[in-house]
Amino acid sequence: MRSQVYAWNGNSFLGNAAGAVAASFVPAQSGVQTSIFIGGFGNNITKPAETTATEFVVIEDVACTPSLPAGGATTAGVAGGIAATLPGQLNTWTLDPAGAPALASRGVIGPRAYLQVRINTTDYFLNPDNVTNDGIPGTGSPYPRSLDFQPSFNLYPDVYVLPGQVWDVRYTSYAPAPNWGKTGNGLLNGADHNAFCKYTLYDGPDALIANKLLEMGISINPGNVDWYKRSLLSAQGM
Amino acid sequence: MRSQVYEWANLAPGGAGSTLSRSANDQVVQVPANVATDIFIGGLGNNITKPAETTATQFIVIEDISCTPWIAGAVQVRINTTDYFQNPDVTQMNGVPGLASPYPRGSPSSLNPAAANSAYTPDNLLKSFDLYPDVYVLPGQVFQILYTTPQGTGVTATGFTVMCFVKYTLYDGPDALIANKLLELGVTINPNNVDWYKRSLIEQQTRSAVAATAAAAGGQA
Repeated sequence: MRSQVYAWNGNSFLGNAAGAVAASFVPAQSGVQTSIFIGGFGNNITKPAETTATEFVVIEDVACTPSLPAGGATTAGVAGGIAATLPGQLNTWTLDPAGAPALASRGVIGPRAYLQVRINTTDYFLNPDNVTNDGIPGTGSPYPRSLDFQPSFNLYPDVYVLPGQVWDVRYTSYAPAPNWGKTGNGLLNGADHNAFCKYTLYDGPDALIANKLLEMGISINPGNVDWYKRSLLSAQGM
Repeated sequence: MRSQVYEWANLAPGGAGSTLSRSANDQVVQVPANVATDIFIGGLGNNITKPAETTATQFIVIEDISCTPWIAGAVQVRINTTDYFQNPDVTQMNGVPGLASPYPRGSPSSLNPAAANSAYTPDNLLKSFDLYPDVYVLPGQVFQILYTTPQGTGVTATGFTVMCFVKYTLYDGPDALIANKLLELGVTINPNNVDWYKRSLIEQQTRSAVAATAAAAGGQA
């Protein structure tokens, strides 16, 4: 078993995904769920994330860029306008006056980003009316974490990806204009379109044990897998 | 069982009414002062299609609620027609203040839009409040999360964005039955205890099977 992470940045200077647009995570992606693995923006991987017959994945955390509620106007630093941010408060994000770029969201500083987990064709996060939603808000599960943005959310119980399943982590933003264009030439400042996924990969015999624990109704984590191994050994008189 | 979240903001296209899906053209919707706004179907900001309720095979455990700390916002849980948070004299209150349960966590405690150079307060709020014990929504119950501010958010151009956040766990199917059983037993309902109950059922079945086999073997002898 191995602890794994996947970090995604929507700005194409970090990678060369097939079909990546020069302007990186473009405004046209507003409100569109984009796979952080094969979505065609930012750093991508070669094929959809999936488990083989001898693998078991437990997703333990997902997080993305947070946002900060602000004033309703489009001009910063004026009466009734957007408050000027301070260091750490996403202060490299600015919303242009008069809606330029046209799709800049008003009333929020940051990308208004959400992250959904999809197993095969089923979305994990739903609204109380059982309708699929955008997923976990980055404001509730921020990446990167800081004093200004701490998690309100802990992914517990974990999400299990059983052997043979395809899984995806999908990013949605409602202010997709890249801020780095305004703050200077592609500097990664921690306030861009970021997403993060922490998972544990169980393979080989560990995956078999993970399946067994699932049957037994026991949470799958490294401690319980080790416990099961120990109990097998002690049953053999070792 | 699945961990779920719901985030509400007073943002909608054109700065008026509600929306079922967010968009990049959302603007601040005015939230009136001293009105408890249902974050699910209150008609302001992002909403869902129908009141939040559990079916006969669902059980919900609300584990955290929080809201934007400024303009004295507070958040209340209502199950059917009963408000969860009450004053010591058993009168109605607005609920948990955003200053005690801030969203985002680490948020500045206020922003001052009236100043020429408006700015956030240079502080980072931590939570003073933890929703423990959790709030249970039993099968067939309707629940609401209500946001109230005594000041109101102001109109679109000069108003504030405010947000609410709810974290809950949805138990459905057999997990909901187990949750009901745990409730009867007086055991706290959480994923660990549901798993524990499943394991104890399996162990019971195994013991019964072993006993039956032993009894059958004894009968043959």
